[in-house]
Amino acid sequence: MKHRFASCRPLRLLADLLALFLAVPFLFCLAGCDSKQETVLRVYNWEDYISEPGDEEGEDEYVDLIAKFEEENPGIRVEYSTFGTNENMYNELKINPGGYDLVCPSDYMIMKMIEENMCEPFTDDFLQNSNYAAYASPYIRELFELNGWTKYSVAYMWGTMGYVYNPETVKAEDLTSWAGIWNDAYSGKSTIKDSVRDSYFLGVAYVYRDELEKLAEEYNVRNLSDENYAEYNAKVTQIMNRTDEETLEKVKDSLIDLKKYLYGFEVDSGKQDMVTGKISINFAWSGDAVYTMDEAEPVYNEDTGKLEADGVYLNYAIPEECSNIWFDGWVMPKGANVELAQKFIDFLSTPENAVANMNYIGYTSAIAGDAVFEEMIDWYDESYVDESAGPSSPNGGRGFDEEGHPLQAYDLNYFFQGTGSYDDYCIYVSEESLSRQIFAQYPTEEVITRSAIMQHFDNATTTAVNEMWEEVKGLPIPVWAYIVIAVIAAICIFVLLSFLYKGRRKEYKPKKGYRILKKGF
Amino acid sequence: MEKIHFSRKQLGIPYALFLALFVVIPMLLILFYAFTATVDGKITFSFANFLNFFTSTAKLSTLLMSFTIAIISTAICLLIAYPIAYILARSRLKKKNVLLMLFILPMWINFVLRITALRELLDLIGLLGSQNYLNVIIGMVYDFLPFMILPLYTTLEKLDNSYLEAASDLGGNKLTVFTKVTFPLSMPGVVSGITMVFMPSMTNYVVSDTLSNFNITILGKLIDEYFTTYDNWHMGSMISIILLFIIFLSMLFSGGFKENKQETRGANLW
Repeated sequence: MKHRFASCRPLRLLADLLALFLAVPFLFCLAGCDSKQETVLRVYNWEDYISEPGDEEGEDEYVDLIAKFEEENPGIRVEYSTFGTNENMYNELKINPGGYDLVCPSDYMIMKMIEENMCEPFTDDFLQNSNYAAYASPYIRELFELNGWTKYSVAYMWGTMGYVYNPETVKAEDLTSWAGIWNDAYSGKSTIKDSVRDSYFLGVAYVYRDELEKLAEEYNVRNLSDENYAEYNAKVTQIMNRTDEETLEKVKDSLIDLKKYLYGFEVDSGKQDMVTGKISINFAWSGDAVYTMDEAEPVYNEDTGKLEADGVYLNYAIPEECSNIWFDGWVMPKGANVELAQKFIDFLSTPENAVANMNYIGYTSAIAGDAVFEEMIDWYDESYVDESAGPSSPNGGRGFDEEGHPLQAYDLNYFFQGTGSYDDYCIYVSEESLSRQIFAQYPTEEVITRSAIMQHFDNATTTAVNEMWEEVKGLPIPVWAYIVIAVIAAICIFVLLSFLYKGRRKEYKPKKGYRILKKGF
Repeated sequence: MEKIHFSRKQLGIPYALFLALFVVIPMLLILFYAFTATVDGKITFSFANFLNFFTSTAKLSTLLMSFTIAIISTAICLLIAYPIAYILARSRLKKKNVLLMLFILPMWINFVLRITALRELLDLIGLLGSQNYLNVIIGMVYDFLPFMILPLYTTLEKLDNSYLEAASDLGGNKLTVFTKVTFPLSMPGVVSGITMVFMPSMTNYVVSDTLSNFNITILGKLIDEYFTTYDNWHMGSMISIILLFIIFLSMLFSGGFKENKQETRGANLW
């Protein structure tokens, strides 16, 4: 008896230890739950997509929005997690239904989720009385209404796609068309996205560039209030979302053709490669374009005006045929805590918090309002500051650029009008700035009229497009690879044969007597 | 005070648990995913992925591409590593451990960082953006060379000197001694070195993406694409299984499963 007990002891010890390990976190949890009654808001967002305090000590220029929200709403704790691609997010929602209160997918994924009935609708009260209702840009709200997403989704960030380029090495007029990078002059100098949807868009724009140009001439739409705007935009959207077999084949051929002009593909490295000058043209999202242009600019000392770091002023161009307008928006998956989620969006939708986000992320918020506009004035307006001027014309456009030309008005009324107290939302910039950061941050009304939203493809189409992309990325194998493979195969066969031959020569049949002898032992 | 006593079986329990949880179950899951397909939200048994792989030119050319790159990288690694390992193992240097450490030192720095640094270096030389295939092979060799040196070094170092002496005594010149004695005896190190380099060279897409600017797609990248962007776990699993099969075959042919002899014991660990 004693003996058995002894041999069991270590096992029991192990079991005790194990139990302790399991119990400890549970106890901690109990203690935590006891002390305060907390409700948890589970937010699932893109990486680096909300203002957070900087990593380094003393870097307090960024607002910690999550902490601020928790402070303003005692008793609510935000459980914040991030994802890297829309597809990852979608899978996570499928595996873990009801696991999140608020997620932030891109446009096409929102369409897919609405179609699959995965979202909770927003309450009418929220849609009419929240900060989002008050401050979201009327243009964005109209766009959502037009597409029927208003009930299920609210916009967070938005932007366009275009080319970032170095005007010192690239002629601006070459990039008035998407076809500009199918050009020997820029061979090995440009990159496009290593992402199916974005590059497919580029391919379609290239394939149908003549048709799009004709359409633009025919309608000649310049602003959003034009009566033909809706019709024109619908036609552009239809063309840009073609996925029939013929289109796929043409896009594949044109992208394979493009490969020989490219430096390569990229997802993130393009920004840095533009700054270091490895490439001259980068097919980019507007937010990345802003970041790239900021990074590349020469740095001057604020006090002395002395040059501190050399740099180059990059430009952003949106070709004339069309562009892609994209956005990321909040949706509440089925089973979400609607009240809490709406509270969080309401909090993010104040212009002050939108400014904090824009500061940190670098993308353009869907929220307008005076605070955002004033921040933009602070960032971009080049006219003299005049304290005595009224609110209707903050800086009034007084002043000249370096060459003595008067400043130009950059009209943002389509975005800001109706969300604040100014009469005229114009920012005054020099002529060369018209194609820099501000153009990437807020495209002109004219660009908006020819910008299409890329729709969500159904499963069969997605597979076909993915296969097209796979062939673009995989083919073609260079001739030397085939030669190398042939040589290696020949060597392998030779070695194998020689082994076999050797093996046969060695393998002699034992004499009968030997076997008998062995048996006899 | 009684002694705490574990039997051998009990000591094996932690690893057995680990093995079941993190090796066996995931492998079964991969197998399951590879031979199923999701149709209208339901998972059904299917050979479609298998057929798709062997009828798709894009996938087959990717397979060929990774195979070629892996073979060339492995061969270059072997050509560089063998002399170094030989010299190191045979030398009577007192500080040869320090020398060995110098070869392994790069492994202590995160490899993503090393590859990013290599990218800048290649840009400086002017290869980046123009010589994609060469760059990827340089990257693979740079990254996996220590994995080739180490097993070769351990086998060669344990090589009994009396064999070599006997061979010379019996009239073998240096070349004969090497080809007839040293090299055959170091085969286990060569084999484990090859498997250590060959397999990751087929899948390490950080190297191919970074150094070829995403121009070259290798199998590992394809698997990643299927899991993350194409959202098709079935095809991704199938490619993994095929990769596994290729490695299994290469092990079989190179004799990696042969029972270890006395002097080679441990070399295959690397």
